[in-house]
Amino acid sequence: MVEEEKFFAWLDGELSPDEAARVEAAVAADPELSKMAAEHRSMAAGLRGAFGAVEAQPVPERLQAMLKGDGKVASLTDARSRRQARLAQPFWVQAAALAATLAIGVFAGSQLGGGQGSPIHPRDGKLVAAAGLEQALSTQLASAPANTGPRIGLTYRDTSGAICRTFEDRAASGLACREGGDWRIRSLFQGAEGQAADYRMASGGDPQLMEAVDASIDGEPFDAAQEKAAMERGWR
Amino acid sequence: MGSSETFENELTQLLPRLRRFAFSLSRNGADADDLAQATIERALRSRGQWEPGSRLDSWLYRIMRNLWIDTARARGRKEKHEAPEEEAQFVGEDPRESMDASLELKRAMAAMNRLPDEQREIVALILVEGFGYREVSEMLDLPIGTVSSRLVRGRTALLEMLGGSADG
Repeated sequence: MVEEEKFFAWLDGELSPDEAARVEAAVAADPELSKMAAEHRSMAAGLRGAFGAVEAQPVPERLQAMLKGDGKVASLTDARSRRQARLAQPFWVQAAALAATLAIGVFAGSQLGGGQGSPIHPRDGKLVAAAGLEQALSTQLASAPANTGPRIGLTYRDTSGAICRTFEDRAASGLACREGGDWRIRSLFQGAEGQAADYRMASGGDPQLMEAVDASIDGEPFDAAQEKAAMERGWR
Repeated sequence: MGSSETFENELTQLLPRLRRFAFSLSRNGADADDLAQATIERALRSRGQWEPGSRLDSWLYRIMRNLWIDTARARGRKEKHEAPEEEAQFVGEDPRESMDASLELKRAMAAMNRLPDEQREIVALILVEGFGYREVSEMLDLPIGTVSSRLVRGRTALLEMLGGSADG
């Protein structure tokens, strides 16, 4: 009689040589146990073979690119492939994105009603960055993120020639582009919360934000050197 | 930059194995590659917490497992309220993977998917990834007896689903 867990520990090579020899003898003497050992070995081999196919596949470019250190802060290529794969997304991820869109008005409204510290101000009928957000957009390099406050993601030139930057903090993420001496807010999305954060992180940012970038970008996002040079030129 | 390049090189070399683990945990290929990507992001951000000289693979597997369990838990909560659970039949409907996901892989993923989470991770780590009981017990902070008993239950259920003979 061999106890179940000991039988499997033997099968997995986890027993000491003495114990293994005892179990081996017991299994050899018992056709039922011999059959069970063969079935489990075969099943485990099948499992290894099936998942081994994944290991043998080429690693997707978007994963490899993350380790090449090309200075880009978020992967736009990924956002594009992500959008193409939208139908493969779980239902609730799409629902969450929709909910985030609906929340924009609420967020913008509450912030606009605020006082001096409000990160977004109306000016001449446009929404522009103010306070800490304005400062982050003007002085923060994505390669040197601040410990607190908004974080800058991508910087790029849009099809009208303006420099645009994505930003994110705990409450919201969005896109601002340089107009005159201001950062005009082009898009604003409710911030990552709870589970949705994993999906956003996995796609290099809020999928809707990445789509807004994708729709307006001319060429590729700036790398770290281009971003620094753009700041030194005053974002023109 | 020397040590940082080593870290990234080693991580790059481990990518095929990490993806394999992601596939054995996830419902479909798209989720698996999202999990792999989230794991790389987390690893790059927390590289300071990895002790050079210790096993990078175990450290990465642990990161991936923790990200996966957070996702699975949150999804479980969400889906109760918002949407019917997606079944593993969705494997292969993503055009990116219909090319390369073999029938065997789909069957294996579907079967793994029907295991409870706490059995699936242990089956994946021991039977697929080839870790020892002790390594898994340390990786998951579980008593070795728990690892052993969950493994027995998981593999027994899998044998019923997949069969044990070579032709399935």
